[in-house]
Amino acid sequence: MAVKPKLIKERVPTPERPVEERVKSFVEVNLGYDFASAVKEAERCIQCPPEYAPCIKGCPVHINIPGFLKALRENADNPDEAVKNALRVIWNDNTLPAVTGRVCPQEDQCEAPCVMGKVGDPINIGKLERFVADYAREKGIDEELLCEFKESCTGTGGSVAVVGAGPAGLTCALELAKMGYKVTIFEALHEAGGVLMYGIPEFRLPKDILKTELEKLEKLGVEVKTNYIVGKTVTIEELLQEYDAVFIGTGAGTPKLLNIPGILLDRIYSANEFLTRVNLMKAYLFPEYDTPIAIGKKTIVIGAGNTAMDAARSALRLGSEVTIAYRRGREDMTARIEEIHHAEEEGVKFEFFLTPVEFIGDENGKVKAVKFEKMRPLEERDKRGKRKIVGTGEYVTLEADTVIIAIGLEPNRILVEASGFKANPDGTLVVDENLMTSIPGVFAGGDAIRGEATVILAMGDGKKAAKAIDAYIKQKKANA
Amino acid sequence: MPYKILEKKEIAMRNIWYRIHAPHVAKKVQPGQFVIVRAFKNGERIPLTPVMWDRDEGWIVLITFIRGKTTMRMANELKPGDEILNIAGPLGNPAEMEKFGKILAIGAYTGIVEVYPIAKAWQELGNEVTTLHVTFEPMVVLKDELEEAVGRHILETVPIDPNLDFPTNMKNVTRRLVEKVRELLENDEYDMVFMVGPAGDQRAVFNVVKEFGIPMKSDLHPIMVDGTGMCGACRVTVDGEVKFACIDGPEFDAYKVNWDELIARSGYYTDMEQRAMQEYMKLFEQALQGGEQ
Repeated sequence: MAVKPKLIKERVPTPERPVEERVKSFVEVNLGYDFASAVKEAERCIQCPPEYAPCIKGCPVHINIPGFLKALRENADNPDEAVKNALRVIWNDNTLPAVTGRVCPQEDQCEAPCVMGKVGDPINIGKLERFVADYAREKGIDEELLCEFKESCTGTGGSVAVVGAGPAGLTCALELAKMGYKVTIFEALHEAGGVLMYGIPEFRLPKDILKTELEKLEKLGVEVKTNYIVGKTVTIEELLQEYDAVFIGTGAGTPKLLNIPGILLDRIYSANEFLTRVNLMKAYLFPEYDTPIAIGKKTIVIGAGNTAMDAARSALRLGSEVTIAYRRGREDMTARIEEIHHAEEEGVKFEFFLTPVEFIGDENGKVKAVKFEKMRPLEERDKRGKRKIVGTGEYVTLEADTVIIAIGLEPNRILVEASGFKANPDGTLVVDENLMTSIPGVFAGGDAIRGEATVILAMGDGKKAAKAIDAYIKQKKANA
Repeated sequence: MPYKILEKKEIAMRNIWYRIHAPHVAKKVQPGQFVIVRAFKNGERIPLTPVMWDRDEGWIVLITFIRGKTTMRMANELKPGDEILNIAGPLGNPAEMEKFGKILAIGAYTGIVEVYPIAKAWQELGNEVTTLHVTFEPMVVLKDELEEAVGRHILETVPIDPNLDFPTNMKNVTRRLVEKVRELLENDEYDMVFMVGPAGDQRAVFNVVKEFGIPMKSDLHPIMVDGTGMCGACRVTVDGEVKFACIDGPEFDAYKVNWDELIARSGYYTDMEQRAMQEYMKLFEQALQGGEQ
């Protein structure tokens, strides 16, 4: 008679740095699992068969989650072996697990449909993925595995240009390199990584870890050309002459700004400018680093997505009091629950149902207050399922000497305008079911086709495009 | 990919000439476009303008005015043969290349180095170009080059009065600039005025040009970070709309620019800029003293 497995309902917690310590620096907040607790958490998994495991379906790149958890459990007495086997399973589908384990909204993806979540806490998949990647990196296990993967790469004789070194482009490049293609990435900024580098702060994704992840590119033979602005430095037509195919992963990096009076006042930042100064340029280390950032005592962050949380928590670490002002309610916020929770713990204040109508400046042209209209929710919902809101005609003015606008991003126009792609009115590229754009041989994915979405969806597109590019090049060569 | 400095020289007081290997920029750059340079590991990104280039040999010339920490550190620490970490570009829109007719192209201080490639191309296209350079006496640059490139090059220099502080000295340049522009516009008919220089001087000149009703284009220099349209640091109001100078400009119709806002925005980091400069000078002096011992 089969013994019914005993379910452990509660997840094994991961330690976090105490609030009073972490708000003074940009060091990572969550400390992650050690091997013993990782195995304990992995043992909670009931091992649904991969054919229908809901967690795999929930993951945009379909990592064999029960498979890697099983690998951890099977060698509980040999951590190195356990991690190596687990990482091998992960790498089949995702080559940036240290990143995704940290920044994915697992509660909406792999962890949302986890069967264990119906009876207790879902398996802590993100933190386990992160553990495998971190342990492997610290022990050099990823190096061994990389050699293994590299050996299996058979040169196909094809070459691909990837535009943009963000999550979509990196994934596409790594997948193509694994298939044996010669890949060159063209990146406009001076560092690869895209939003992982300039957008997501150190306290969520340490840049040293990101850089180690990026070293895989070189080890798999991918060339990265920084300071190349495709559309200006080199055109799509020129790339098509030199490469068999092109992948566009240029993201959605143009900030939406509020079209209200006072937008040009001093100390009103787009979240992108603020975060780029802080993360990419390390302005929090001024004057050791040359890039300045001017931040006052009272900061208002407008918006309630992940970008808003990142900006708010960064401003707090620069010594400011921070209030997040959002036009809808608490339950409408789009940021990850974990990040909202962290922000609250760290002392970020929240104001709901406020829409900015004017920025008020002082005699020196610096912002000193924001005038808001109070909003009221309706029963009706918009197409994204959020409650609609209407103005009440009542106003409130909040003092602030710094304002950060985090109301969203749209695709950059340089490339679309320079190359004549078919694009949607919002600037996103039109693609077919194989992610091919209106220009044959040019594929696209990530925020460039979705508008502002998530890191993991961009990675999913990069992976899908890599398969389509492989098929396209093989077809092209067969016809030639 | 680092970019090698092939040549470096001080061509005038606080004006440094760098000829740099940057084939990706040299191949594509058009007059009016700029690059973003990051010279040091912990450095900032600053916008500079290729003044000359050779597409075949793959080099560009940048001329910097030593204005703060980064430009001073470049002048002090970079030698021919050294490499600049990052040069991204070309960026921004090329200047409009049309037959406008008779053009007055004005450069205040080191702004003339940005006028040079544009004025030269306009002249080659069949325009009748007069360039006007107004600066301090020891800061004259590109005089011979401009005399050769355009129909007429006018140089107006202002002495530096050692008894006055720098802002007061700069007012003398502004005064001379305004006087000279008025004189030129009164005595001759121009179809277009173009200017590169500090925002305050641009506004002062624009106010004169406006009286004559002549079209005017301005090259705007707001603060930039990425230079590719992803942050909006360089935003300006043009014709009541918010524009990003790095992707919509840097050239705009002077009649449509909100000058007051632009002038205010260019001073946002003055305190921190001074602090960076002071701390750097302190370190530099210590290093110099250390070297002498």
